[in-house]
Amino acid sequence: MTDTRAVTLNALALYGLALLLTAAFAAQLMLHELPCPLCLLQRILFALLAIGPILNIRFGPRPSHYALSLLTAVLGASVSTRQVLLHILPGDAGYGSALLGYHYYTWALIAFIAAIVLLAAMLLFDRQFDQRTAHITAPGGFAQGAVWSVVGLAALNVLSTLLECGIGACADNPIVYELLKRAS
Amino acid sequence: MEFTALFLAITIAMVVAWRGPRPLAIGLFAVILVACVATLLHHATDRLTLSF
Repeated sequence: MTDTRAVTLNALALYGLALLLTAAFAAQLMLHELPCPLCLLQRILFALLAIGPILNIRFGPRPSHYALSLLTAVLGASVSTRQVLLHILPGDAGYGSALLGYHYYTWALIAFIAAIVLLAAMLLFDRQFDQRTAHITAPGGFAQGAVWSVVGLAALNVLSTLLECGIGACADNPIVYELLKRAS
Repeated sequence: MEFTALFLAITIAMVVAWRGPRPLAIGLFAVILVACVATLLHHATDRLTLSF
């Protein structure tokens, strides 16, 4: 795999992350279900997964960039496993609505494990690292669009979380936007 | 509040990774990752009522 192809795959990964963050937003707005603290932490870690691909697109693929995403995915899997275990007992309805039979945190666990497998698979292709010292070409519109879409979604999450939690600690089981409640 | 700060820090780290120096982006990433671990430890204090 050449470095150009690896960069394209990294841009695709960013679009995947953008889709995931958009789906979380859609569930929040359409189902009127506010994310709990552990749910927010999983969203944060999905956003943090984007740093590695952004660095790969800008500076060319490096094992260290993939390592950043691997560390994030392992932490994300730990957080979602924690939440799965909180609701694993028989009779526990879980937190929030289920999508296709699984709750958001179960999907998050599957997504983080998939990320670990995909990142390990990407590291198998050594040729992408050969051209590291070569001139890095300027990213095209496809890659730039991928980067700015995840940046935009992370910025929207800043606003959403500020509205939800206000300036204090987030509620364990949030049902209203704290800042909107104070304003009304 | 800590979650808003983490999202803001990640947004800044993304922009730095895209426009700024690489060492700064990686340094910001490291700080955020440690903050995420601390947040998890802070919020994961409920006892897991598991039977195994």
